[in-house]
Amino acid sequence: MKVFSSNCTFDYSWEEVSTANWRKYCPWNDKSPHVVGVDTLSRNVDPETGILRTERLITCDQNAPQWVLSLFGGTATSHVYEVSYVDPASKKVTMCSTNLTWANVLCVRETVIYQRSASMPSSSTDFRQEAQITALCGGWQKIKNKVEEASVERFKENAKRGREGFEAVLEMSRRVFSEQRELETSAA
Amino acid sequence: MAASIAPECNDIKEKYDTCFLKWYSEKYLRGNTTSNECEDLFAKYKTCLTKTLKERGIDNMLEEARKSTPETDAEYNRRT
Repeated sequence: MKVFSSNCTFDYSWEEVSTANWRKYCPWNDKSPHVVGVDTLSRNVDPETGILRTERLITCDQNAPQWVLSLFGGTATSHVYEVSYVDPASKKVTMCSTNLTWANVLCVRETVIYQRSASMPSSSTDFRQEAQITALCGGWQKIKNKVEEASVERFKENAKRGREGFEAVLEMSRRVFSEQRELETSAA
Repeated sequence: MAASIAPECNDIKEKYDTCFLKWYSEKYLRGNTTSNECEDLFAKYKTCLTKTLKERGIDNMLEEARKSTPETDAEYNRRT
């Protein structure tokens, strides 16, 4: 098993980040063209805790190395299942995702947390991401290592692009929201 | 908003997503967690999507993946 993790802080409030997170994969984000579909499967609020639980299906056209593709049967479209939990009381979003495609050869489990920053709670948000990648294919350890290494490498590239793309979405969201507010104020 | 994997569901999905985002930012984040004005749109979107999930065999993969959600539910679907 290999583990990939990263941390960063976004200079936006948790409310802004958690809202923009729902449209992370939109045309404003030109860094994640590999995501071709985001579908909501279920959504409900726990009446006791107020926690919003959402299940989504994320569909990607992954540009994996050719040798990985041929190992996995040559298909480039992959599906990811994601369950997320928004806790408005502690201002925290947790997203757990796992791959549906190629699940018999490779298991990728990712946890992403967006939480109100401890140092500047009203204006910034801490981001934590951890992925566990395990190649399950029986056989040579060498091949398993190679598959895991290639996957971690791909994950790293996507994580960086994901962060850059999300920054663009945050910036656009803030601009659109403030324009909307101005419109509403001038109309009032 | 991102597209649906089922192109024929894109229209209803967009309506639902827009409704949800408005509810999320204007009600849910402000403490009104009980309202559910997007429910009808979601039901329509879901009916549309379910067909494609079945046709492509994704429903079976989802069922398999859902086996591990009790773990994450226990950890995150509670007050901290």
